[in-house]
Amino acid sequence: MNQVSTASAALPLEQAAPGRGMRMARAMLVLLGAAGLAWGAWVLVDTVRVARLPGVALWVGAAIVVHDAVIAPLVFFGGVLLRRAGRRRAGVVVAVVQGTIVLGSIMTLIVVPEIVAQTQGQAPKNPTVLPLDYGLNLAVFWLVIAVGATAASAVLYARTRRAGRRPAR
Amino acid sequence: MYEAQRSLASPARNPRMATVIGRLLGAAFLVCFGTGLYSHFLQQPLPGMRFATRPEFLYQFTEGTHIIAGIACFPLLLAKLYIVFPDLFAYPPVRSFVHLLERASIALFVGASLVQITIGLLNTYQWYPWPFPFRQVHFALAWVLIGSLALHIGIKLPIIARFWRKRADYGPGTDHLTDAVPGERVAGTEAERLWGSSRPTGLTGRLIAYLDATPPIAEKVSRRGFLATVAVAVAAVVGLTAGQTFAPLDAVNVFGPRKKGVGQQGVPVNRTARQANVTEAVISGWMLTVAHGGVERSFTRTELERMPQTEVTLPIACVEGWSQMAAWRGVRLRDLADLVGAGEDTSFKLVSLEERGSFRQTQMGPEYVRDPLTLVALELNGETLDLEHGYPARMIAPGRPGVLQTKWLSRIEAITV
Repeated sequence: MNQVSTASAALPLEQAAPGRGMRMARAMLVLLGAAGLAWGAWVLVDTVRVARLPGVALWVGAAIVVHDAVIAPLVFFGGVLLRRAGRRRAGVVVAVVQGTIVLGSIMTLIVVPEIVAQTQGQAPKNPTVLPLDYGLNLAVFWLVIAVGATAASAVLYARTRRAGRRPAR
Repeated sequence: MYEAQRSLASPARNPRMATVIGRLLGAAFLVCFGTGLYSHFLQQPLPGMRFATRPEFLYQFTEGTHIIAGIACFPLLLAKLYIVFPDLFAYPPVRSFVHLLERASIALFVGASLVQITIGLLNTYQWYPWPFPFRQVHFALAWVLIGSLALHIGIKLPIIARFWRKRADYGPGTDHLTDAVPGERVAGTEAERLWGSSRPTGLTGRLIAYLDATPPIAEKVSRRGFLATVAVAVAAVVGLTAGQTFAPLDAVNVFGPRKKGVGQQGVPVNRTARQANVTEAVISGWMLTVAHGGVERSFTRTELERMPQTEVTLPIACVEGWSQMAAWRGVRLRDLADLVGAGEDTSFKLVSLEERGSFRQTQMGPEYVRDPLTLVALELNGETLDLEHGYPARMIAPGRPGVLQTKWLSRIEAITV
């Protein structure tokens, strides 16, 4: 795919760079994909009782809503607020703070259900499941990454300063 | 809609980044699918299926990898969705019937992916807050995902091909999808065309003005920051949990659902005796029955202890991704099979004392039955097997999931074809 014809410029990306090999590969993948989907659907109705299927659909739908209507807007407005707050600060510093918050949030997303699960499900009946103090560990994690981010910001800021120009934005 | 897309523009949101992160996520999905299928067929083999018994840590490795790749999917999937999020506001929303199908398939792909990794994660916490059976749905969704992945790659193949390698210029027609130069609003003319010459007023206008006045971060910093964040997040979620199976990371296992060495005799337990309803009363007068055709022999624990004993070091490796190496001592299964005259290619049915549970009865193919490392274990780490670990006797075989290492073993019966 080293040459892209200029004629494709006006077309949407999906339709750019046609070629026999490309068309064949796409057709194969689409057929394979459709077959996989059909098989998955069959396995689902074959092994799961009909009364349980709406629950599956509900969870898949809810997952889309939770991501598109809750997580994504939070990330977007969080980013905007952060960049405004960091107006006069170097871009690298804002990027480090942003990355740190995202890192902590992803870990929180994974660990909070773990804390909840310590009182739900099978864990209370089996002391070898979820045996750690995950709340404490999560707090320590946030502390460690906050300290790390502060150190990294200081180093990066000093470096852009030393480069003899205004901090890179 | 165009305005929404433009507001969401970010240097990290471009097809090259989608290709880079998409490759990693696709690889993680394939790894999960392959290791998941392997685990599935070990538990539900098709007729005539045989499996490798060496290396003896094989299942520990494949299932540990399954869970590690699965947890790595959290930052990768969120990153991929972040990159392509403006596509949600594509304008016009639907161009054609094929386009509608494409968008529907993407919605299914996204929803199913999120559900798959979420229920997979919660399963490792042994928490099931959903109204459907885990194993069946996780298996069916695996096929839905792998099908959606192939479909998605098929649809996006020209873009993937164009952005596969890092290049300074990705050719004409891609500018609007790569970086809008800060300050120079490429889409401004389009927005003006849509709204007329003036900006919308009122709340919308104020909101847009607020967003416009937000200082952008330099492209290079923004892109590198994004990639660094994804890399550190993957390293963190994997590094701080993988110690539950990968011993060198045990010291930093602070978020793993299991901890090496935590449990009776230093081994974690998947299902306790109480959960399985196995009490002292149930095991009193216990005998192990071995049957083949018309021949049936029963052994007390003392009789088993008097037989030749073998010591092996084998891991207990659970479907939930944790594993624990341990020293086992007991009678070789093949010695027992020989006593009832079972042939080289006889499969066995293993029955536990527990009253119910999907793994009360399991099957073992001849490759495991004849393996010199497969034991009816009587001791664990130098002590009499704890009740939690299957006292009076349990199975231990190389390369099998923990659920098939039958605890509280009561009957071993040849399956006659």
